[in-house]
Amino acid sequence: MTPRKLLTIVVLIAVLGFGYYSMNAAPVLSDHDYTYQGGLEWHEDPDEAMAVAQAEEKPILVYYWTTWCTYCQDYERNHYQDEDVRDELDGYVLLAINLDDPGPGVEFAREHEASYPPQHVIMTDDGQQLSRLGGFTELDRFHAELESGLEQYEQ
Amino acid sequence: MIPEALTLGTALIAVAAFASGLAAVMLLYGYVSRSEEFRRLTMAAAGVSTLSLVVAHGYLTYLFVVGDYTYAYVWQNSADYLSLLYRITGVYANHEGSILFWATLTAVVATWTVYSSHFEGRGSRLAQSISLGIVAVFATMLVSQSPFTPIEVAYPDTPAGFVPPDGDGLNPLLIDPWMAIHPPITFAAYALLIVPFALGIAHFVSQFRGEVSVFDEWLESMVQWLRVSWLLLTAAIVFGGIWAYGVLGWGGFWSWDPVETAVLIPWLGLTASLHAINRYGKTGEYPIFAPASAALIFPLVIFATTVVRSGVFRSVHSFAAGGIGTGILFLLGVTGTLAIVLPFGYWFLRAEETQRPADEPWLSRRTVYHGAVLAFGVLAFISIWGLSFPVLRSAATGVEVAVGQDHYNLWSYPVVVLGLLAGGLYALLDLRRRRLAIAATGVVAVLTFLAAFVTPSANWYLSDPAAHDPLVYRIVGTASVLSIVPPAAFFAGSWIARYVSRIRGVPSRWFKLRETGIVLLHVGGAVLIVAVSFVYLFSTSASVAVIGVGEAADNPEPIVEEVPDSEYTVAVSNYETTEAPTIEEAARTPAEMLAVSEDVSLVRGEITDTDTIENTAVARLDDSDVWLASSDAAVDFETGTEVIARGPVFGGQSLETDADAYVYTDTDNMGTLEDPPTDVHEPRMVSHEIDLTVYDGDEPVAEGTIAEQEYVNSEMNTNDALIERGVTGDTYVVGQVDEGGASISIDTYPLANQIWLGTVLMMLGIAIVTIADTTVRRR
Repeated sequence: MTPRKLLTIVVLIAVLGFGYYSMNAAPVLSDHDYTYQGGLEWHEDPDEAMAVAQAEEKPILVYYWTTWCTYCQDYERNHYQDEDVRDELDGYVLLAINLDDPGPGVEFAREHEASYPPQHVIMTDDGQQLSRLGGFTELDRFHAELESGLEQYEQ
Repeated sequence: MIPEALTLGTALIAVAAFASGLAAVMLLYGYVSRSEEFRRLTMAAAGVSTLSLVVAHGYLTYLFVVGDYTYAYVWQNSADYLSLLYRITGVYANHEGSILFWATLTAVVATWTVYSSHFEGRGSRLAQSISLGIVAVFATMLVSQSPFTPIEVAYPDTPAGFVPPDGDGLNPLLIDPWMAIHPPITFAAYALLIVPFALGIAHFVSQFRGEVSVFDEWLESMVQWLRVSWLLLTAAIVFGGIWAYGVLGWGGFWSWDPVETAVLIPWLGLTASLHAINRYGKTGEYPIFAPASAALIFPLVIFATTVVRSGVFRSVHSFAAGGIGTGILFLLGVTGTLAIVLPFGYWFLRAEETQRPADEPWLSRRTVYHGAVLAFGVLAFISIWGLSFPVLRSAATGVEVAVGQDHYNLWSYPVVVLGLLAGGLYALLDLRRRRLAIAATGVVAVLTFLAAFVTPSANWYLSDPAAHDPLVYRIVGTASVLSIVPPAAFFAGSWIARYVSRIRGVPSRWFKLRETGIVLLHVGGAVLIVAVSFVYLFSTSASVAVIGVGEAADNPEPIVEEVPDSEYTVAVSNYETTEAPTIEEAARTPAEMLAVSEDVSLVRGEITDTDTIENTAVARLDDSDVWLASSDAAVDFETGTEVIARGPVFGGQSLETDADAYVYTDTDNMGTLEDPPTDVHEPRMVSHEIDLTVYDGDEPVAEGTIAEQEYVNSEMNTNDALIERGVTGDTYVVGQVDEGGASISIDTYPLANQIWLGTVLMMLGIAIVTIADTTVRRR
């Protein structure tokens, strides 16, 4: 065997290995039940989220995102990883709607006039809008909004 | 086909489809029957095909220039207020127009090979047949999805004979000079790849049939085509990067968006192919891979087009998404299969084992060169796989996975490092100082490894992998970017050393020129790789909100804000809005108003006559049949003044040219040209501009204007950045601006100029090599 052939075969095997490995190593965005923005479990179906919210008596946080939105990546990396934010999020039922492929969330997107990512809407379990964060917000403000959303809901 | 859909333009395309199909069949017949009996008819058919496509494309361009909105495609992608340049941009702003443009260029290239006397012989007929066959597929696609579809066919609800008075507009993101030239260059590059594809396929067909291939005969000219295509494709990618940098603020030059990744794949394939073919031309190595790689680039281009157009691959380039023609998928299937199956089949079935000289060492130039070629292939595969596996996995299991930039960056990084080491080693081996070469490469490899551990600050890490990330990401991600410097410097240095040694004492000026081109290409590549590696890791960002910028318009004192978490201060000194079209441009002349017949019209003209009809004052405009009418006592029609007025049109429903039309107006809706009734005007685009100075400490680092354009129809905004270029990097200021306030972000991009320098060197290099080779051949 020539060195070149050997090199080719080695590279081919490496490439196949890479293909298999990278496919399985990629972080899961969504499975059949949830979507995983920022490593959190978000509902994708508004009806489901509403039912859960009513059962648990929690407000709903709706997150409009897309795969290509760089601000959404900021949310993933910073905001959702923040301990304080995560604490606040525990008080919410999470609903994420991918604007490129909203599925059952299409009605919600229209109602909330969410035409570009990222957007957050806080609402009660009966669909009443409490507050709305259009576009990107700094961490502090995001946290404050989540906090005040919970307070408003309590009242 | 629906008869009313058969417009002149579509008919031209249909003629092209038929003629190129006919030419392809006759050429194939000529190849199979070894006859030249239809030679003249073939040439005529190929000529007719190209001519009809050129005329069709010219006609479409004409329709855009004059703003003829009879056709849906023109209406969707243009508007009256756009300047000539952007009307022409509209021609290839969308699927149909860009495919027509691509088809036209492909037809020109394919027909040229039919007419040129360089390409005679049987095998050439087969290659020409394949090229024209592809033109026929393109043209057939365009007949079914024509840019000349009348608006009433595309939108069946529109009343017959209705022509919209103005276009729907062009995607705002495309309103940029770089975007005006990016598509033509891309498609020119793509079109040139048709011949290498046809030749590669013809080569394997000939081989299977046991005939002499024309591949070698065409080789020299084909290499030139590939080089020009490479130059154009490089330029296209660079212009796309400049556009993304200037217009989008989506994260610099490159964001591993599917569309951006897609265009890189043919570029990597083309680069690998040029290396293999270069070797093949000199030494006869790569007897299978060289023609196979030439054939494979075209399917890669089609793959890239599928990514761009299909909407399957989610992308920020949402303007590109939409229905993809079955024609494209057909082309992808057929060309891809041919380009892969034929060479592989030949390799398995027919190829003889090549013998290696007994005295050749394992670590020979050939092996190292092969490593470099493979590196390009692996890089291409990383990109193809990154695009494909999320789609495949989602289709198979319903589980969606994220593919971020880490996939591309971290997997590619080691390949690039190894490629640089192999490239440097190859250049040194060319100097025939074998021991020294291997020793030097070993030393550099050790330095690279050590440099990977040198991280003066957190910025130097290649990535920021989380604990749950895969092991490879954690290993590569925690390496220092410094590790790119030794191999890149070694690579550049070796190629310079090789250059110096090769040209020393050689009298031929053309040889020296050619070698200069080659060294520029490689040094440019090294500069680019280093600059790109550093730019993202070391870019910084800070932002601030400035409230009430509208007040800066009248205030001589600038509004000064300190930017939190940074040393920056911004001073906003002016605020301005501009509108397009302005009310003067939007108002129609009486003749235009009669032509478009709207219920409510904005009209301008000089009052040439006044009268009173039943207590209503009327005023004739420009001696035409259009009159203004008003029962508002405050309205004063005065002969000789030029006015702009808006109002409902009476008698304007089915206006005959000799009938009078009245525009009912009042004081709120009328004004003179100097003082037009601006409140009644709805511009398509409003641009909010602020002048600002950015200080870093006390030092002004950027001064100029940033702007945000609001496009009312498409509910989309674009931003103009202020870029202050410097040797060490750019200061980049961009923001969302309106009267209420501005949210300004200040980014720095270190080594931005070195990115452009690297690409310029590479483009200059390939141009020099091409010119030198052409001149030498001519002699």
